[in-house]
Amino acid sequence: MSTWRYLTDESVGAAEGLAADEALMLRYGRDERSDSEATLRLYTYRSHCALVGRYQNLEDEVDLEACSARAVQHGRRPTGGGAILMGAGQLGVAVCTRAPAGIAPKDLLRRYADGVIAGLARLGIDAAFRSKNDLEVGGRKIAGLGLYVDDRGALLFHTSLLVDLDIPLMLEVLKIPGAKLSDKSVERVADRVTTVSRELGRTLTAVDIRADVRAGFATALGLELCPGEMEVEEQDRRDGFVREKYANDKWIRQRSPLPDARGTAGLKTPEGFVRVYVGVHGDTIKSLLVAGDFNTLPAGVSRLEASLRWSRAEHAQITAVCERELGASDLGVPAPVVAEAIWQATTRALEREREAHPVRAEGSCYFPEQ
Amino acid sequence: MPENWFEVGGYRLCSDRYYDAERHLWVELQPGSRVARVGFDPLGRETSGDIVEVSLSVVGTHVNRGEPFGNVEAAKFVGPLQAPVSGVVSGRNAQVLSRPGVLNDDPNEAWLVELDMADSSELSQLLRGEEQLRLWFAAEIERYRRQGAVAE
Repeated sequence: MSTWRYLTDESVGAAEGLAADEALMLRYGRDERSDSEATLRLYTYRSHCALVGRYQNLEDEVDLEACSARAVQHGRRPTGGGAILMGAGQLGVAVCTRAPAGIAPKDLLRRYADGVIAGLARLGIDAAFRSKNDLEVGGRKIAGLGLYVDDRGALLFHTSLLVDLDIPLMLEVLKIPGAKLSDKSVERVADRVTTVSRELGRTLTAVDIRADVRAGFATALGLELCPGEMEVEEQDRRDGFVREKYANDKWIRQRSPLPDARGTAGLKTPEGFVRVYVGVHGDTIKSLLVAGDFNTLPAGVSRLEASLRWSRAEHAQITAVCERELGASDLGVPAPVVAEAIWQATTRALEREREAHPVRAEGSCYFPEQ
Repeated sequence: MPENWFEVGGYRLCSDRYYDAERHLWVELQPGSRVARVGFDPLGRETSGDIVEVSLSVVGTHVNRGEPFGNVEAAKFVGPLQAPVSGVVSGRNAQVLSRPGVLNDDPNEAWLVELDMADSSELSQLLRGEEQLRLWFAAEIERYRRQGAVAE
């Protein structure tokens, strides 16, 4: 049985929460020494913080005016993936350890995700790994996973687990393509994500389920979790990361050379008119929303949206995923027809992207916005 | 298949290239120079997931073997690209920076950086030659299949 250190934190600010994760992982890099094999940190951010992924463009993902009006902090994670809203209803799960040699990133994600899945199982929720590193319950996303390995081989696994979610606030502060353009916007999000509170039929906070997630990790990974505190050296490192990185505009507002753009296309189906919204980042699909007057979101559509996210913006790839994920009854039209609509929206996004941002061939890859 | 290329378990490798077994990168010496091109081998690419963003050190940066010459984001994995040999970055593939998806299409073609090597003796720490590469790659495929990181 392995022994890990166990830490908790509550209501941390955006910069402080992110900086603490990185400060904790530093001790697991090469040339560093640690008394424990790993650290598990279960924590919450103050309500609320909007956090973008490592390579996202902040202004393209977060409505900064809305954040300011609603006192929502913003920040940039070291891990990849899309923008998230964190607060008392979302449990932050961080594992810091030495990156094991010879194990693929995909496998590491699954290994640590098993701890979260086991925690949810203790609550009576049957969650499973889905496609591009999400956890789902009944086809709806309940957690997003990310993995970051630094230059010295230290690893940070991070999960944002939805215990509860203020969907109207999320729609207000995050820019989700197509999500706001309807009086059914809240329902659209609710069709695609779920929470622990919703699954259990009672309102819970992240702190309410923390003991179960801790026990889930202990069981699934065969651990003894020893409660501890951040050491003074780690606190100093955290404070340094806050000043020099996570509260610093050079980090928060850095822009990827790959531009973002959006496109949309329509599709006639026997069930009515469906609109497809695609967001691209460089030559990657970063978001897909298939919106229509569905009584219930077809399961194949939910799978399709998840599978195409972070996929190549290519016709063949889109067609292959549509044919794999869509059943005959999902939208009432053949998968290649749906693929054409998605490709049309993607093409429009890519054209806008090229018009707005000529390719930057040389120079620094990442640069702060002036 | 071009001369000197062969397949192991459906993955293409080149007997003239050097391979970093730990980091799953290939190294190709450019004719008549000390410059080595570096790229992902097919397993390195596949086990990282679809690559969506790449950053590379600027030309003129010196990196030692094992030190980062850039970063990669693949789906939700973010991590360093570690140099298989020491050298000075003398070229960066602009196409990879502007269209990282080309790495997913063909990692054998889409090189990342060119390193001007100061000491070619480090190449002896890499794998080369069809017989050696076949043994190593077949074992790696099997290992990743057991982990579930690549398809059966």
